Amino acid sequence: MKGTRSLFVRYSLIVLCAILLLPLTFPIVTIVLSLPFSARSETSNPYRDGSKLTAMWHREAKALSNAKDADIDAALQRLKARYPEAGMFWVDAGGRTRLYLSDLDPPPDVWPPSYAVSFMKARIGGDPFTVVAFVGDRDNGAFMVFEVPRGVMKAPGERVREQYPYVLVGSALLVLGLFLSVSLMFFYRLRCRLVRLERAMTPAPDADGDIPAQIEPGRQDEIGRLETAFNDMVRKLEDSRRREAGEELLRRDLIANLSHDLRTPLTAINGHVYGLRNESLSARGRESVALVEQKIGYLGQLIDNLLSHALLSAGRYPYHPDVVDIVRTVRTLLAGWYPAFEREGFEIDADFPDNAVCWTIDAAWLERVLDNYFQNALRHAKSGYYIGLRVEERDGGAIVIADRGPGLVGVSTDKGAGLGLSIASLMLKEMNLCADIVSGDPASGSPGTTIRIRQLEALPPSE
Amino acid sequence: MKRILYIEDDPEIGAWVREDLERRGYAVDWLTSGEGSVSRVREADIVVLDIMLPGLDGYSVGQRLKQEAPDVPVLLLSARTAVDDKLQGLGFADDYMTKPFHPDELAARLDVLMRRYGRESAREVRLGHLLVRVDEQSVIDKRTEKEIPLTAKQLQILQCFLRNPNRILTKEQLYEAVWGEPYIDGDKTVMVHIRYLREKLEIDPGSPSVIETVRGIGYRVRQ
Repeated sequence: MKGTRSLFVRYSLIVLCAILLLPLTFPIVTIVLSLPFSARSETSNPYRDGSKLTAMWHREAKALSNAKDADIDAALQRLKARYPEAGMFWVDAGGRTRLYLSDLDPPPDVWPPSYAVSFMKARIGGDPFTVVAFVGDRDNGAFMVFEVPRGVMKAPGERVREQYPYVLVGSALLVLGLFLSVSLMFFYRLRCRLVRLERAMTPAPDADGDIPAQIEPGRQDEIGRLETAFNDMVRKLEDSRRREAGEELLRRDLIANLSHDLRTPLTAINGHVYGLRNESLSARGRESVALVEQKIGYLGQLIDNLLSHALLSAGRYPYHPDVVDIVRTVRTLLAGWYPAFEREGFEIDADFPDNAVCWTIDAAWLERVLDNYFQNALRHAKSGYYIGLRVEERDGGAIVIADRGPGLVGVSTDKGAGLGLSIASLMLKEMNLCADIVSGDPASGSPGTTIRIRQLEALPPSE
Repeated sequence: MKRILYIEDDPEIGAWVREDLERRGYAVDWLTSGEGSVSRVREADIVVLDIMLPGLDGYSVGQRLKQEAPDVPVLLLSARTAVDDKLQGLGFADDYMTKPFHPDELAARLDVLMRRYGRESAREVRLGHLLVRVDEQSVIDKRTEKEIPLTAKQLQILQCFLRNPNRILTKEQLYEAVWGEPYIDGDKTVMVHIRYLREKLEIDPGSPSVIETVRGIGYRVRQ
């Protein structure tokens, strides 16, 4: 069952048929040509046997001895009715042609002796087949002629047999042609199915995802099995995509929940510490409480960074780039941070151009990055008590943050700043931005750090 | 006394926050789940809502509360810090604060929210030598007890500052809040209006004390 479905077997069968049929063509054609006609032709064709015709004609002529002209006419008419394919006439004793019943060229009305001779000479063994018989007795001198084209005397099969070489070659060509067209058909259908498969394997550009759709499996041969295998593969791919998406969701939820679950007890601790502040404490106690509060804030921020970093590195942090006026974004952000810096006694130096500087980025991301730098500046840069923020217009624009402490890049006391900074650099990279960091030399008296955020491929300056 | 509807499932945090807010002079109605909150929101002046709650989560509860009482401000207080969570929360809530938090900040934000919703008891704000009557939209110079006449736009700018106490407002933010249109680059309208406003309000417009300029950033009114 399976064997007959194989393309190989099917094509082998076609080739085998052709190989067998070609040599068999000759005997088959021969048999076919000879068989059906030979049996029939003897009986069906009254003209077939020349000797019989001759005998018949002589018998008829003999029967007409002493017959009147009219009788002869009548006899010929009757015979003509019996042998419609044949031509017949008779010539009387005077050499005049009578009752000419033939489609062939008529002889002259009056037969000169020489014509009779040449007629006989031409007709013996010639075409048409001719029988000449004297009417009645020989002495009368009248004779009647029966003529029939040789072609009529042959059986149809016999006639075809004469074309035997052509028929043979024709049949061979026919078999070859048949083989060619069957092969062509075979491969054409094969090609159609392969093309269909190819189309199915190439996913439509507007389809969501890049997994092609399953295809309707056709006949179960090699291609059919390929289609089934393809469908299996697509199914497995879809399964794994689904699983992957599910795992991704699970991981995201896990991280988000972990972050939440860590923060909740932290909040409770914070509450208790805050409560402690209202108790009567020694100076050292108060100092400890302040430190614990500070560390709680720091821990919360660390958890936040951990969550962000996990999301960012998994490419799951929502990114919605838009044309953003960075002057406005940075200014608004600084307005939010201003009181915090002010409270710590920072000198704040803001310098923004009047014109907009537009970058195609996600404003929330830029804020996140700057938040990280500001946080570091606030925490570590206290020795300098200075934060400078300016936006430059030229060369596609740049955001410059400067301090006078060691803190922007967080090499001071707290080690955890690294995570925040790596988030910042990840986000900058994603937004096609980069940060050039110039750290001052404390020995030379300028310990400050300058961070210059600019676009990687400087776009033509806006306006 | 201002009434706060507080929904929080963690008993420790809940007890602490309630205690702290009651000490600050609020009446706190604390629920440990969203159940029954809808029927009580009408009596509250403000809602403080946790997100991770047993049963219905904070998003669903908050949306129902907003449907029931759109004029009661809702502050989400959550340990969920992802941007997605914040965006989803701010879709209906008025503010979003993450845990751990400082109780002073919570109190300050509640204060601002209630003021923005006009649920403030003190309808009068003292700004140096000025007394602003928010309800009557009038400004009185306490030195002379005379009202200072302001144009509609000047009043709107002043109100914008009062709604955002101690916050620095950039010229873009001011323009968009008062004029309700997107700020156009290089527009000097805000600057001009602030100058006229100062001429009316300040004792010495040359060195303003009410509307403070934060160089390079914007303006601020301290209370």
